[in-house]
Amino acid sequence: MSITDLTSMAGSQTQLRIEINKRLSNLQNETSDYCFQCAKCTSGCEAHKLLELEPHKIVALLKKGLIDEMVNSDIIWTCIGCYKCWERCPQKVAPVQILYTLKNMAVANGKQIPGKYTSMLQSILSIGLIQDIQEAPTYDNKTKKRDALGLPPLSKPTDPQKFQMNLTKIAVEKI
Amino acid sequence: MKKYALYPGCLMPTEQYGYEISIRETFPLLDIHLVDINGFSCCGEPMKSVNQLLTLYLSARNIAISEKNNLDLYVPCAMCHLSLTECKHILDNNTHLKNKINTMLSSENIEYRGECKIIHTVDLLHDIIGLEKIKKQVKKPLENLKIATHYGCRLIRPSEIGRPVDSENPQKIENILQAIGAQTNDYPEKLDCCGAPLLINHPETALTKAGQKLKAIQEQDFNALVTVCPWCHKMLDARQNKAGETIASKIHLPVFYLTQLLGLALGIKKEKLGLELNLTYTNKI
Ligand code: SF4
Ligand code: SF4
Repeated sequence: MSITDLTSMAGSQTQLRIEINKRLSNLQNETSDYCFQCAKCTSGCEAHKLLELEPHKIVALLKKGLIDEMVNSDIIWTCIGCYKCWERCPQKVAPVQILYTLKNMAVANGKQIPGKYTSMLQSILSIGLIQDIQEAPTYDNKTKKRDALGLPPLSKPTDPQKFQMNLTKIAVEKI
Repeated sequence: MKKYALYPGCLMPTEQYGYEISIRETFPLLDIHLVDINGFSCCGEPMKSVNQLLTLYLSARNIAISEKNNLDLYVPCAMCHLSLTECKHILDNNTHLKNKINTMLSSENIEYRGECKIIHTVDLLHDIIGLEKIKKQVKKPLENLKIATHYGCRLIRPSEIGRPVDSENPQKIENILQAIGAQTNDYPEKLDCCGAPLLINHPETALTKAGQKLKAIQEQDFNALVTVCPWCHKMLDARQNKAGETIASKIHLPVFYLTQLLGLALGIKKEKLGLELNLTYTNKI
């Protein structure tokens, strides 16, 4: 099952959107009022120089309620998740939290999302981990796997069906 | 002898074997007993952009498995460590959400209680085992080596949820390096991100960030770089050549896991520390 399959389960998906909307309006009420646009978050932002992300503007747009504009913009996908903005904000605002929630909304809206998230989620649903055991390259151009290196078996969910059931529930509904 | 459940996460046990091997070799020498438990899954952090509740659930599930076994968790990956710590921070302050998560966890016969401690390599070595004990065990001090440290964004921030090291001036890895006889120094780029999280949708920028940091370290006459997170390590070690190419520079900086350097200092043979899996030229050291 892919994210797109999950997100196309109409009906229940509405629930998820309501939940994320609530989180966004909480963030809007609880944080954006404290922001005085000093841009300290942007000055340290790891995605600012190379990708032009400006977290202080994200906060300002949230304050104005321009949520759809941000959800539909690619800029929210440039955040690297370095947490510097949250750490350094003198007002304890966490632009990174706003960005994660906006990205969640983009996914819940069924928007085409960049990158390998779909295959990672698929893998988690089927084996519990983002990938299965790989052949790791060595410095002298060989490859090695866990067992050949004497490592014990991989820890993963013992009842994959139950595991998958709960994850699917979360991916389509609010909890 | 202290006991911990080893929470492997995804990246370390499926490809970053050098970290796992060196962890399993070194900690028993420092009286830490690591217990393997079946049933763990991804911590959920890689899914945070997709669905934060999924992240929260997955983290709570892993903590609950450890709690069922009455063990504290040792979490070697900075990303997993952040995810599990954040989950604990959220659920311990929100009974409503905790109850909802527990209703779902009950189908797997587990429960999140919030009793389990979540420990990373750095605080396990620095705060729990302690520098004195490490010093006493050193057989081959790493003399004449000057090593740069890379902590990783998710190990140092956000301090609001509790991190194992200081967010603006972390020194614990430096102290550990000194305890095993190596030299180290702060450098201006120390807190810069390795770029790894951007690989998923902005690979060029990700490699540029790694390249810039590696180049800066190389130019400041360090012999090697030390890491404590499989994501950062993969970015700075396995992707070092590519990162160099991306910024049109030649970079030859050996990258080690902290536990590999520690193992060497404790007198473990290099063949037993997974060093052949480091793709930078660690033999130079
Ligand atoms: S650092 Fe904080 S107060 Fe300053 S602009 Fe950013 S979010 Fe607003
Ligand atoms: S977490 Fe994202 S928005 Fe915040 S400083 Fe880092 S890259 Fe910028």
